[in-house]
Amino acid sequence: MFRKRYRQQIPELNTTSTADISFMLLIFFLVTSSMDTEKGMLRQMPPPPIENQQPRDVNKDHVLSVEIDAKDRLTCDGKEVTPRELTNEVLAMAQVNPTGHVVTVQADRATTYEAYFRMQEAIVRAYYTLRDDYARKQYGHGFDACNAEEREMVTERYPQRISEDMKGGER
Amino acid sequence: MRPMQSKFHTHRHTVPSLNVASMPDLIFTVLFFFMIVTHMRSDEVKVKLEVPQGTEVKKLTNKSGVINIYIGRQGDKWAVQLNGDIVTPEEIPARIEELRATMSPEVAEHLTVSLRADKHTPMGMINDVKQALQQSYALRINYSGTEVKQ
Repeated sequence: MFRKRYRQQIPELNTTSTADISFMLLIFFLVTSSMDTEKGMLRQMPPPPIENQQPRDVNKDHVLSVEIDAKDRLTCDGKEVTPRELTNEVLAMAQVNPTGHVVTVQADRATTYEAYFRMQEAIVRAYYTLRDDYARKQYGHGFDACNAEEREMVTERYPQRISEDMKGGER
Repeated sequence: MRPMQSKFHTHRHTVPSLNVASMPDLIFTVLFFFMIVTHMRSDEVKVKLEVPQGTEVKKLTNKSGVINIYIGRQGDKWAVQLNGDIVTPEEIPARIEELRATMSPEVAEHLTVSLRADKHTPMGMINDVKQALQQSYALRINYSGTEVKQ
């Protein structure tokens, strides 16, 4: 009778604090790690120029000269433009002559990086629009959905022909 | 004796305690999720910078062959930081070579430089860095920026 009433039971482990411990670990990882937020514009630079290399002549009609001066003013073929207008200019030029045109970019040494970034972005947007349209026409889906082979075909059709230069100021 | 009261005493109503045994398991799941999708921040950024904003930015895909270059203010001067240390643009080619030697050939082939520069950096500085990278054949550059919607 006595034994039945006070039956010996294995005491349950108190696990309430396990949650707190794992919460602390979780917060530690949240603080020390960064989420996948690395974003940017991927650009390919040309290899370093070889000595005694003659600059190639390009017909003046096929050159779009983009410049940024020390006061961050963006000019395209001598007239001041906004990045959006620059996109249209590049678009028009590359559409007419996809493989023969050249966009020359000149930035002053005192130009801020932000202005340069906007200019690069405007040019990238123009080429991206062209490629996207072409991919839609040829393959029925956008440039982002293309596989490697299709991508190569599209970039061959609309290559980015950009020549960069620096001017002004002393090192 | 009052039978009613004795009945109430034996069956006292208590709030049942919540079973929290599965809570650590849940939190551990979240923890593992975070451990997998994030990577540890490897180097401490010693320069002050704010990257420009743009609409055409894309995610950087391969993380293995990435060299980080930070350009920003240190005190009132502009400084360049490569991975963990402050360098001058002249030192960059040697550093890149050093880093490239530690990478496997497949990774070194897709070497990308992530250029995180402050938006007010003068282009002269950026250009010095770019020329140094060109000299060391590190030709893929990722201009870091934060995305804004149009």
